[in-house]
Amino acid sequence: MDKFFYLLTDGMKNLWRHKLTTFTAVFTLFLALFFVGLLATAGTNTHKILQYLRTKYKIEVFFKQDVSNDEAIGYIYRIKQIKGVRTATIIEKEDAIRIFKDQFGENIIDILGYNPLPVSAVVNINRTSRDRLSVEPIINEIKAINQVDEVRYQGSLINKIERTYTRMIDQFPFLAGIIIFFTVLVIYNTMKLSVYGRRELITSLQLIGATRTFVKMPFIFEGIFIGILSVSLVFPALIGSINGINYLLMNFTSWGIKLIFDPTVLIWLFVLVISITFVGSYRAVSNFLK
Amino acid sequence: MIEFQNVSYEHQKGNGVNNLCFKIDDGEFTFLIGPTGSGKTTLMRLVYFDIIPQTGSVIVNEYSSEKMSNRKIPKARQSIGMVFQDYKLLKDRNLFENTALPLHVLGFPVNEIPERVEETLELVGLDGKDKHFPHELSGGEQQRACLARAIIKEPDLLLADEPTGNLDPVASFELVRLLETIHETGTTVLMASHNYNLIKGRGHPILELKEGILRGN
Repeated sequence: MDKFFYLLTDGMKNLWRHKLTTFTAVFTLFLALFFVGLLATAGTNTHKILQYLRTKYKIEVFFKQDVSNDEAIGYIYRIKQIKGVRTATIIEKEDAIRIFKDQFGENIIDILGYNPLPVSAVVNINRTSRDRLSVEPIINEIKAINQVDEVRYQGSLINKIERTYTRMIDQFPFLAGIIIFFTVLVIYNTMKLSVYGRRELITSLQLIGATRTFVKMPFIFEGIFIGILSVSLVFPALIGSINGINYLLMNFTSWGIKLIFDPTVLIWLFVLVISITFVGSYRAVSNFLK
Repeated sequence: MIEFQNVSYEHQKGNGVNNLCFKIDDGEFTFLIGPTGSGKTTLMRLVYFDIIPQTGSVIVNEYSSEKMSNRKIPKARQSIGMVFQDYKLLKDRNLFENTALPLHVLGFPVNEIPERVEETLELVGLDGKDKHFPHELSGGEQQRACLARAIIKEPDLLLADEPTGNLDPVASFELVRLLETIHETGTTVLMASHNYNLIKGRGHPILELKEGILRGN
């Protein structure tokens, strides 16, 4: 037990003994982990941004001239039943006059003597789906209603947004894999360099009869302490950054987006850094042991 | 006890030792002498199993090179104290930590270590300097620190490879005296040197190496 505590405290003391190496390693690990944390947060919030963009999708349905407000309510009920439709709001003939006046500043009845504007409806589509959204089937179903005269929607824009989102989702695991791979590489090599700088110590320890375990343990503890130190700095930095971004989004944009931070990211980062620093320092010392 | 039976070892770049046969009994003080490149360090490395003979066998205490494995080497070295020309002190630790290190390796109870370190530093004349780092000590003091680290575990065998190589004549003489004091406690000592004047007339057996071959006994 005495030996174990000696090795543990020696690993801690090494952090202080080699301040510059410790600082460099902690800073490098901090940057790598912070980047991975941001990436994970971006991954969590991508769908939120898509949901925001989907709120802007607008389908306008114009009924034929002879359709009354009451009849339109029945058709709108049918539209609401279509799969993928979230809401459908009627714009009565009277509302249309008011909208016309708001947009053009003239009362159309004063100009024409009658109201030529049809009853219409604004259809919003379901935005929570994680799959690519295709509006064409909804449009076709709406068009199939006899009393619908015209359907207007931003087809190419919606397709472009949905296509980009699908592409991002498809490539995200690949991109995350590359970034995590390089992060692992950076952390591993940082640990290796830290050990390489003290290869004379390893030789000296071996000469006085230290076992392989005795030589390895302080380096492993030191590596784990460096990992814990860096991840402890990453936690507040990540939470602070996300709070800062949220402050900017809420106060300087009208998007109404608030990024959420998944606390399990912290657990994953902790597990990631402990595993890599453990394996990294273990392998690095093993390389220098005969 | 050290026994070499027809031991040969040749380095990749040449040099080494050839067909060495000798035996040093427990409690003996033996000098190993020879010019630079004669194979003294190779012989020492064979004793602490840093290298394994290509032919023949080396027996040190109960360990034989023929049955040596990576796992057994630390165990074998734990009963050997080593002093080197370049000291091999850990630069990032103070004298106390350097001296105490072998005791931690052996798993000594932590509360017994300070007293033992104090006694050993006193023996080598470094009492009061336990907080000093190696770079704060003179060459002679560093060599005595290295000796303290070697003897603190009370080894059966003490190897000193050119311990006076970097010391002035006075410090060299003092160090040999110190080794003799340690030898008087029953420790087997093998000291390599190229300085014949330092070891002559001291009444200890001398092994003479020349071009890897043992000349005198």
